[in-house]
Amino acid sequence: MEAQLSVRAILRLSLLALLSFLARSSSQDIQIVNAERRIDLTSHIIKVFLTLKVENIGASPASDILLAFPPTQVDHLSLLKAAVTVGKRKKKSYLPLEVNPIELPDAPNGTKYFSVSLLKPLSTGETATIEVLYILTHSLEPFPAEISQSESQLVYYRDSAIILSPYDIKQQTTFFKTPSTKLESFTKVEPTNRAGTELKYGPYENRPPHSFSPILVHFENNNPFAVVEELVREVEISHWGNLQITEHYKLVHAGARHKGVFSRVEYQSKPSFSGVSSFKHLLARLPPRVHSAYYRDEIGNISSSHLRTDPRKSELEIEPRYPLFGGWKATFVIGYGLPLEDFLFESPDGRRYLNFSFGCPLVETVVDKLTIKVVLPEGSKDPSAVVPFAVEQHLETKYSYLDIVGRTVVVLEKNNVVPDHNSPFQVYYTFNQVFMLAEPLMLASVFFLLFVTSVAYLHIDLSIRK
Amino acid sequence: MAPKAIASPVPVAWYPTLSVFMLAIGLIVTASFFVYAATSSRKTRSLAKELITGAVASVFLGFGSLFLLLASGVYV
Repeated sequence: MEAQLSVRAILRLSLLALLSFLARSSSQDIQIVNAERRIDLTSHIIKVFLTLKVENIGASPASDILLAFPPTQVDHLSLLKAAVTVGKRKKKSYLPLEVNPIELPDAPNGTKYFSVSLLKPLSTGETATIEVLYILTHSLEPFPAEISQSESQLVYYRDSAIILSPYDIKQQTTFFKTPSTKLESFTKVEPTNRAGTELKYGPYENRPPHSFSPILVHFENNNPFAVVEELVREVEISHWGNLQITEHYKLVHAGARHKGVFSRVEYQSKPSFSGVSSFKHLLARLPPRVHSAYYRDEIGNISSSHLRTDPRKSELEIEPRYPLFGGWKATFVIGYGLPLEDFLFESPDGRRYLNFSFGCPLVETVVDKLTIKVVLPEGSKDPSAVVPFAVEQHLETKYSYLDIVGRTVVVLEKNNVVPDHNSPFQVYYTFNQVFMLAEPLMLASVFFLLFVTSVAYLHIDLSIRK
Repeated sequence: MAPKAIASPVPVAWYPTLSVFMLAIGLIVTASFFVYAATSSRKTRSLAKELITGAVASVFLGFGSLFLLLASGVYV
């Protein structure tokens, strides 16, 4: 009995030792020689460029680098990309790396980690330069939270002066780029410098792992805080040569809420002073060769839109019915047609696929909830979607013109979408060309039924007397 | 190898012309069907001829109305 107990105790101890060794080896074998962070606060989509020069100081080769984020940032993290730089100076090129969320047992204060897999393991003493880009949305808090028409919009941005990392950082610097020189206040963590629109924190030397120094930057940001709360894009494929796109928008100005009355006279006469944080037009970048574009809402057509087309791209400039101030909403629909041969292809295995752009066509816009519905022609089988990032998908059935069994709809859903998500995705399906004849034959049989009825009427004798 | 683009079996620009011609032919055949039905007596009437005329007219009218839908922007 006692022997059994002691064996158990030894096992437990050795397990603990192993665990602590693992934890130590994953973080203490690597140090960051130099880190530079550039935070772009010029719009409401915050872009952070992080350059890390990592060195392996452990005995064994390291294949993963960990990135740490405070829990408040992870909730607003829209996109995280990492790349490694190859070559020197002019021949420099970037190779993308795989990034995956990872759970660590001893994360302090709910810190969330992402693991960057290196292309080849970093052997002892070797260094590598990793470029990380991450995008945060809904991270600027308007303060004051309510402004009147003539006031300009001020926002808070909270972050840490020291980069949160599970590794020792030898030297680090952080730069903030603000949209204008109007900076209300900022937390000083010496050395802190300010020059024009740039705010520099650091250089800081030899910071231990998980160092955190909260800072608050209060600055002016009058860029349009255009947020689409919900966007439903419907892409309908017709094998008769058209791709019909219908987009339902629920747009909101997510900046400081508007307070008091709205004076149209003041807004029109002093545009540089009145309503500086509001916006009245939006630009949608559409594919080239777009035709039959429309822009309307529940009331009817909205005439204030301009479509410019050239061989490379199309631009649709739209104006909502009223300028949007903080907290104001607008709901509208944009629709357009595209030639089928630009987007539908045949893969070598005989399947057909649609190659279309994900994301929202409006520039500089955050989409909280994006739903893309790809309506396949009637008679399509085995649909499958290939999207470069994680999305939720399911199938639906839709009935449209001349349908009997209904069209298969591939529904893709993603939250927190930024313009950087505008990369192509594919939907594969199989289709038998004979099914295209279903629609004309259906119409022909209706006419034939009419003729058969009249023939029957002429041949049946309905008279009572013989 | 570049993937092969899939286009419509009939060029999109032909839809209005096709629709006009097929509907015209379809209506002429329909007219001849009813002229035959009205002028022939019960004894001289042939069921096969009526059905063939009706079938030809309905194929032309069916395709003609499909191209009319496509030309007017209702892509089925």
